[in-house]
Amino acid sequence: MKQPLTLNINGEDRQLLVEPFYSLLDCLRDEARLTGSKKGCDEGDCGACTVLMDGKPVTSCLVLAHSAHHARITTIEGLAGVDQLSPVQRAFVEHGGLQCGFCIPGLIMSATGFLQENPDPTEEDVRFAIGGNLCRCTGYSRVIEAIMAAAAEMREAS
Amino acid sequence: MTTTTQFKVLEQNHPRVDAYEKVTGRATYASDVYLPGMLACKLLPSARNHARIVSIDTSAAAALPGVRAVITGTDFPDFRFGSGALRDRYMMPREVVNFVGEPIAAVAADDEATAQEAVDLIKVSYEDIPSVVNPLTAMTEGAATVHPELENYEGYGFTMGHNVSTLLDADRGDVEQALHEADVVVEDVYRSQGINQGFLEPMACVADVEPSGRLVIYASTQGPYQIRAGLAAVLEMPVSRIRVVPMELGGGFGAKLRLAFEAFPALLAIRTGRPVKLVNTREEVFTMNGPRLPVTNYIRSGVMNDGTIVAREAYTIFDVGAYLGAGPNSGIGHGIGAYRIPNFRLRSYGVYTNKIYVGSYRASGVADMTFAVESHMDHIAHELGIDPYDLRLHNALREGDVSVSGAVVPSNGLIETLEAIKEKVNWPRDLEDGHGLGLALCEWRSGSGPSTAAISVNDDGTVSLLTGSVDISGSDTSLAAITAEALGIPMDKVVVAKRDTDLAPYTGQSGGSRIVYSQGTAVQRAAEDTVQKLMALAAERLGVPEDALGCEDGRVYVLDNEPQGLTFAQLAAASITSRGGPIIGTASLSSMPYTPVFAAQAAEVKVDRDTGQVKVLRYVQAQDVGVAINPMAVEGQLDGGVVQGIGRALTEDQQFDPETGAVRNPSFASYLMPLAIDLPEIEDVLIRAPAEDGPFGARAVAEPPGFGPPAAIANAVYDAVGVRVKQLPLSGERVLAALNGEYDEIPLDVEALRFAEGII
Repeated sequence: MKQPLTLNINGEDRQLLVEPFYSLLDCLRDEARLTGSKKGCDEGDCGACTVLMDGKPVTSCLVLAHSAHHARITTIEGLAGVDQLSPVQRAFVEHGGLQCGFCIPGLIMSATGFLQENPDPTEEDVRFAIGGNLCRCTGYSRVIEAIMAAAAEMREAS
Repeated sequence: MTTTTQFKVLEQNHPRVDAYEKVTGRATYASDVYLPGMLACKLLPSARNHARIVSIDTSAAAALPGVRAVITGTDFPDFRFGSGALRDRYMMPREVVNFVGEPIAAVAADDEATAQEAVDLIKVSYEDIPSVVNPLTAMTEGAATVHPELENYEGYGFTMGHNVSTLLDADRGDVEQALHEADVVVEDVYRSQGINQGFLEPMACVADVEPSGRLVIYASTQGPYQIRAGLAAVLEMPVSRIRVVPMELGGGFGAKLRLAFEAFPALLAIRTGRPVKLVNTREEVFTMNGPRLPVTNYIRSGVMNDGTIVAREAYTIFDVGAYLGAGPNSGIGHGIGAYRIPNFRLRSYGVYTNKIYVGSYRASGVADMTFAVESHMDHIAHELGIDPYDLRLHNALREGDVSVSGAVVPSNGLIETLEAIKEKVNWPRDLEDGHGLGLALCEWRSGSGPSTAAISVNDDGTVSLLTGSVDISGSDTSLAAITAEALGIPMDKVVVAKRDTDLAPYTGQSGGSRIVYSQGTAVQRAAEDTVQKLMALAAERLGVPEDALGCEDGRVYVLDNEPQGLTFAQLAAASITSRGGPIIGTASLSSMPYTPVFAAQAAEVKVDRDTGQVKVLRYVQAQDVGVAINPMAVEGQLDGGVVQGIGRALTEDQQFDPETGAVRNPSFASYLMPLAIDLPEIEDVLIRAPAEDGPFGARAVAEPPGFGPPAAIANAVYDAVGVRVKQLPLSGERVLAALNGEYDEIPLDVEALRFAEGII
């Protein structure tokens, strides 16, 4: 039976009714109807469902929704302002770091969380930071280029 | 020679037209479709690989609260369909299952959990039938037969019967004589593994029935018209009663070219009158939807001492699993590689087995053939003591040669790709112990097929482009760039319309490196048609003959008096009340001339002698792209393709149970696709030898990058440690066995194949 759950999603408190067995990913998609986080495997292997939970990247398919009670969740929908992409999003656009796009929300969330921890990474650091995100289209080259560019831009801005 | 400076739009980097949607999570994929009252669909997979269904008891499932409908094979019309001419498959088996995982029942319920609970309540009673899993066994006399009724199937032909679904041949010259006269004969047997396409978005579909009874399908597909045709056939409905809406495509690579599971939610939607959604689990993607299956290849060449290859014989056996989901065409089409070989005998077999049916994947089978052909080239080189680069250069196809299909080879950049690689990696080069360098040469052709385009001019001077093709690998952006270039307007003045099968003109599938080359040509011609109509209207309004007019920068003007003219915006506004009416340019075509694509690649590897692990330190590719429509997108394709090839070379291995044929590793945790941490930087060199046909000289791009890595890496491993592994993937275990002298050649009874061939 569905149970009440309070989540702060993208800065807004949401009261939801969620099955006890639901993952955070299913909760975000089916109940909050935020479909930007993707279900690529539902087993924690692909990273397409990555969101920030209290600022840290997690694979939301492996988090039980009710274990996130009162947590602060940031999804891909929460990154951009009105007409204003985040630096990571903008870099992915400008550097062509996306193709089919299905893995991209997860990659952008992993990169966003990572750059908050490590604003001045090496390319090798970036490769490890997205080591849990599968992408089948890009070969990662332009994804890495985009994340490095976003890091540089964010350092300059701060 | 086209230079890059003549273009205003092409040869410049453009962000994708859909980039904003994709980086904000707003792009809508089929699984993101939520409709009011929508039901969830779950499937029951077959537990046996070859069995008669004695009974399916769905009563408990149907009685479960929340379950709205349950269907099995007999709920569908008694109709077999196929991926090509041969119709060997029911949408859902009626009496006999042919592989473990084959869907045999589907449930629609209020939510996924209930649907799954209902699926688990279905009781199936099977009666096993003898089965066969190994294709080489399947070809032998007395082996169990997968399709005993094959000869009665519609489209039966080009086959030998028994388990051989297909036998294709290609012959030229006198192979026996040439082999007899050759100084050296070199032969090998290669085997490549099962490969999953690895698209990140699982197969997904939402089916809805409009009040009029019309079916609407929101699909994840490369071929909306093919889904429509397939559904019409298996549901016995007219195509006009079906509308297919292709949603954003989360990767397909060939796996989503044709009808997959859309008929299940479709029939359930018809039965319940409610929308039904089916989203496969990752395990279902691995066990239900056709991957590539193992390929065994025997290859023999007659070579003169100077390196001239005079004869080639190749027998290739493609395991096609339970159904012919994709033909074994590459066995003949790519048996001589990118070389001029005057005498050849090529045979390609498709062989049924009781495992998941074979599907398409990024030029199906060509990567397998390239592994064999390009490994074999190095074997020849070492046998003769010739540098592998020189051997390739010596035998490479030149303009005017005749390709394997009989088409004359037009001008191309093959030699430049080889030379670019030689320079880039400084070939030949002595490396430290355990390090090696290897080459591969890849060949493909730009894809043809039905293509249509319509361009309408809006009264603000922008244009709307309508095509029926699904965006694949940024093709919408490329088509927008071609439109902009041909009309002389900037990219941001082109709107690419969202489309479905009601709205857009019929177009072939998005696959086979077809869209930019063929669809792009249709778009270019539609733009030319648009310009012609704009000029005709301008001539009328300006009172001058058409040949006195020029068209540039979104404006038609008088050649002798440039200030006198009309902008596209003015012309569009004027057109509304003109004799000809609103301006729309169109074009259609169905086939395009043979335009080859060549790429040379090099891998530098390090082999750990203690573990056999192969690490790719550097990967370089040079590809003749003709003209780079959008260089950033072209490089994205090249990088992604090579990485898929590196996965194929080293880690990806779809494994099947030798007894049941069941997929043994149906997850991303056990089927190992490359991650960012596994890879070197990929270096790309774009060679620009403009194609004689194709939009502004562009060639196809997407397929060849993935062909080369298995052979280039195998050749590099040989260079590094002196062992030749002829079986993929080049796992640490396999390379270590080879280093220890424990690697076995692959057994293949070639005489039996030659004998069998005599039967037809």
